[in-house]
Amino acid sequence: MHRFLRISILLTGLLAAVNIFAAESSQLVPMTEDSLGPLVEQPIEFPHDRHAGDADKGGMEINCMYCHTYARRSAVAGIPPLQKCIGCHQSIESVRETPRIKKLFEYWDAKKAIPWKKVHDLPDFVRFTHQRHIKRFNEQLNRPIQEVCGYCHGNVKEMTVARRSKALSMGWCASCHEKDHPVTAEGGTPIDGQAYWYGFQKPESSGEVLKAKGPNDCWHCHK
Amino acid sequence: MSVSNLLENWSQFRHAHPVDDKPHDPYKWAMSIDLDTCSGCNACSVACYAENNLPVVGKEKYAHGQVMHWMRIEHYWDENLGEEGGSEFPDQGAQFLPMMCQQCEAAPCETVCPVGATNHTADGLNSQIYNRCIGSRYCSANCPYKVRYFNWYDYPSTDDVWPAEMTQQLNPDVTVRGKGVMEKCTFCIQRLHAAKVTAKNEGRIVREGEVQVACQQACPTNAISFGNLLDPEARVHKQWKAQQVELDKDKQLKDEKEGGTELRGYRILESMRPYPSVMYLERVRESAI
Amino acid sequence: MMDSGFDRRDFLKVMGWSGAAVALSGCGNTSIEDGKETVAPYVEAADYVIPGIGVYYNSSCAQCDAGCSINGRVREGRVLKLEGNPASAINNGRMCGLGQAGVQHHYNPDRVREPLLRNGDKGETITWDKAYELIAEKLSSVDGEEIAFVSGGVSGHLKVLLGNYLSSFGCKNHFVYEALAPGVVRAANKKSYGVEMPRYNIDKAKVVLSFGADFLGSWISPVHFSQQYAQFRKGTNGQRGTLIQVESKMTLTGANADRWVHLRPGTEGILALGIINALGTAKGDIAAAVAGYDRAFVSKETGVPPGQIDKIAALLKLRSPSLVLAGSAAEGYAHGSQNAEAINLLNYVLGNIGKTIEAAAAIPFPQMAPAKGNTAALKTLNDGLAAGKYKVLFNYAANPVFTAPGAMKFKGNMAKADFKVVFAHYFDETALQADLVLPLDSALEDWGTHVPEYMVEGAQINIQQPLMEKIHANTRGMGDILLALLKQRQADEYKNYEDYYAYLRAAMLQNKAALGGVDADDDTFWNETLMNGIVKLEGEATALSGKPNVAGLKLPTLMENDEEYPLHLIPSVNISLRDGRHSNQPWLQESPDPLTTIVWDSWVEIHPKKAAELHISEGDIVEITSKTGSIKTQAYLFPGIHPEAISIPIGQGHEALGRYAKGYGANPFEIMDAIFDEETGELAMHETRVKISKTGQKVIVVKDESAAGAKQIREKIAGRVSTDEVDLSKEV
Repeated sequence: MHRFLRISILLTGLLAAVNIFAAESSQLVPMTEDSLGPLVEQPIEFPHDRHAGDADKGGMEINCMYCHTYARRSAVAGIPPLQKCIGCHQSIESVRETPRIKKLFEYWDAKKAIPWKKVHDLPDFVRFTHQRHIKRFNEQLNRPIQEVCGYCHGNVKEMTVARRSKALSMGWCASCHEKDHPVTAEGGTPIDGQAYWYGFQKPESSGEVLKAKGPNDCWHCHK
Repeated sequence: MSVSNLLENWSQFRHAHPVDDKPHDPYKWAMSIDLDTCSGCNACSVACYAENNLPVVGKEKYAHGQVMHWMRIEHYWDENLGEEGGSEFPDQGAQFLPMMCQQCEAAPCETVCPVGATNHTADGLNSQIYNRCIGSRYCSANCPYKVRYFNWYDYPSTDDVWPAEMTQQLNPDVTVRGKGVMEKCTFCIQRLHAAKVTAKNEGRIVREGEVQVACQQACPTNAISFGNLLDPEARVHKQWKAQQVELDKDKQLKDEKEGGTELRGYRILESMRPYPSVMYLERVRESAI
Repeated sequence: MMDSGFDRRDFLKVMGWSGAAVALSGCGNTSIEDGKETVAPYVEAADYVIPGIGVYYNSSCAQCDAGCSINGRVREGRVLKLEGNPASAINNGRMCGLGQAGVQHHYNPDRVREPLLRNGDKGETITWDKAYELIAEKLSSVDGEEIAFVSGGVSGHLKVLLGNYLSSFGCKNHFVYEALAPGVVRAANKKSYGVEMPRYNIDKAKVVLSFGADFLGSWISPVHFSQQYAQFRKGTNGQRGTLIQVESKMTLTGANADRWVHLRPGTEGILALGIINALGTAKGDIAAAVAGYDRAFVSKETGVPPGQIDKIAALLKLRSPSLVLAGSAAEGYAHGSQNAEAINLLNYVLGNIGKTIEAAAAIPFPQMAPAKGNTAALKTLNDGLAAGKYKVLFNYAANPVFTAPGAMKFKGNMAKADFKVVFAHYFDETALQADLVLPLDSALEDWGTHVPEYMVEGAQINIQQPLMEKIHANTRGMGDILLALLKQRQADEYKNYEDYYAYLRAAMLQNKAALGGVDADDDTFWNETLMNGIVKLEGEATALSGKPNVAGLKLPTLMENDEEYPLHLIPSVNISLRDGRHSNQPWLQESPDPLTTIVWDSWVEIHPKKAAELHISEGDIVEITSKTGSIKTQAYLFPGIHPEAISIPIGQGHEALGRYAKGYGANPFEIMDAIFDEETGELAMHETRVKISKTGQKVIVVKDESAAGAKQIREKIAGRVSTDEVDLSKEV
């Protein structure tokens, strides 16, 4: 009896202490699906809606990866080099004298990189590979690119500058990785047609559709 | 991490052991070091500093034993040097031993972390998660090889550790550790991860020779073999097999044979049953001279 | 007192759960910090640049003169890490720790950033144009013989340009000085084999008998020899190679030997002749020359027991081919040439010529072949400076104020030159004496071609290319500096070359056919050359010739015992610090000396028996005094040294060279006597005699090994087995 009491008091105290500490030391964000990040002001208010938005809203429906081209090859999606913007805008006379484009060309003439403020800034100890996610969802599962990018980055095609609209916390990322995905040989990590699973996640196969969880080995994402 | 996952998998994380019914698959990273070819030159140690953002602590802190070398070269004289019945001179040379985290299968450090900052990965590595670590240092107290290193100071903000321009050398794939966390050899997890990404993109597993860890890549005598113990093509697999050293034994079968064994492979402090993933090949000395 | 059975298990469970609590409360909180950091994209990115993925460039390592080829990992325009270039036959993709530290040479916070002109005690920043003007002015007021140019070893196109520059004002005084140079071995090889640097095939030998050649550590081409050593140990036909090291102080190679033979300092040649005698296979004049070197005599002179001499001879007879090497320990004496020639004689008698000693190829462009540094040059330079002969002095890639023996009083003599120009990466001791300091690009920022002294397969030219943009805007490459200086004097000849890069490219393209690019167009050839990092050539075959020279052999016996200075000082060469130019690279200072595990300091190695005699224990600060001067450092008891010798490492004791080097340890060069090898004039580094005395101070030695004194104490930590106990045939 005493033993139980002692342990539970200790535990409660610890839990309380830890939660107070956690609450004070970082912004406590409610555990919802969508969490808006702060509005971040950029050197040029780049209109994603104009570039990537739907045609019926005046957008040009440019593929995300036209500019953020490294997403399918690298860990980072990348901010496009200034050259990419100029590549089109050097011949678009209709907007050449507008304030944002004038500013763009000022940077280009000075050959100076635009100092964008980083949004979706994961902490330095996190290893996130865009390439694998694009490969799985866009290339292997054939989801449209805006849906794939939008899952984490939100509805960018209706924003001007990007604003974070998902928590991007470990819990949020892990929640996807812990889902029981239906995975076929195409969608799994196929080796010679046989999907490969790491030790802990080997699914209890039932029926035709295998379900599996994503990697839950800490070192997969923590550097 | 969700509560259900935590509750379901906590004991798995804690008690993963090669004798369980969850063997490593498809990777079990292991290493083999040939002490006969190791010349003790320290190239591996410096390469590790370069690859893993290790801080240089300076003379004073070194004197306090606060050096951070994840891979260290130990130097030994023969036991009877300077003793009764032995020689006054090291007539058969010295011995060098590269020592790093042995990535034990039943790691004594994993079970004692109060916050679960060190666990066993599915690949067979002993993971160290810096931002979970609270700095109790129980893990290093338990480590029989003493290969865990604690950040007693905040090295990024300490003078002359990474003065301007030297920060540009830091490897962006490896965290730069702050004060109060424990660190150790990771078998260059960042390189393993990069190799796995390439392999996964092509729908296969990492092949022998595709990934080299920093120490192995630098070693001028090729003394270090590293690879997937489960891959029959891997040099390290062949070496463990030839030496008849098995991962999940605390006393190798070959040692029980009459008259001992004529093979050189052994693991250090094997009898303490941590089941290390690093095999050493004994140094050889010519009997004719 | 816990009495209700709250034991350790419960404690751990509680701790475990509270860990879980921490994890729980971690959910939902986010560490995302939007809007705090800046991300700057490229302005114009090259096609192959992908942020997050490294680009790899091949270049040449400049940390020592072995000429290994490196491969640098560059992320977002910054070089992060160096690896070996697998295409080079010299290092085969491997790297030593010194090479790894090349990034710290490059990013070092104490680099010189601007051209500086002396004004009293200070250096004032001037422009490069002004600096060049000043040089031209000073040169015009003196004759060619009054100008001296000191450099380290140079090769390739830099050597060509330097030669052209010096002859443009009629200067013949180019002193090629390297503090650590196998000068005596080169001369002895020339006499014995007909070439200064043959190929030593360690991997083909069954026995290597090395007289102090630290080929695994710091001798000539350590990474290449280490590779060969690995194969040597694996053995030919299942016969594992045996290494016997003969020296007075244990080197890294000695620590790896099957048998380490300690002998009285300077008697290496005597032992070599004793082994020839014991072999009993020599004929003619060789046999006559060694007749007097019987076991009794040799044993008395060297201190090596007769039984040991016999064993060595027996093994050499049994296992052939073998390889006998003469290293720095053998050559560091006034009779060093004699030692080296006696040792080379062993190779003849054993029939190793043509088997483990072969001719190396020579580069078909002799003007690019290396001008090899030596120490004899230092004496000539110093004598000239002392006599006031040189009015203008240039210094590049050498630090004579630090590495010249104290007895030569180099610093004072250097001051006699009116105008001193030092091309420097850092403010080292020599740069501090300069009138004009010109800042150099680091080795990772510069262009170049290099021809290594030790050739492996055929011949090769190493290409050096920048691994990233310059860090400091106002440094220049040595090639660019020379080109600018040449344009001052011979504007027409060099007007087509905008910079050193253009010169190199043009020079290489001009010889495209000979360099293997006969069918390729210019751009393809050049790009492939840069991509490979080396150009492999057949090279011109040279042949071994020379005859065993017995007539000239005259080995001194039992060198006089100096009563006042009873001990031999052996300055040792550490694998990382070498001649001290890398002491400002912190990874190397923190890298323990393999034999003593001491860091960030100097030490003096004393044999425990001698230490007991002198009542010296570990950590005592002792004063080591020679005829020239004295230094103080901590004592370390080291069994791997002859009791009549003590050893202090070279490379510490800097008074300059930046925060990581200044003030650490003591410099044994300071107390070195100016004694030279009789035949070659090379500095005899091991001839200095010293005495040692306690100062009464004591420190704790900062080292990596435990206080238990490097013993395993009953546990099998580092295992060792004898060849008759092990079966190596089943190994992979």
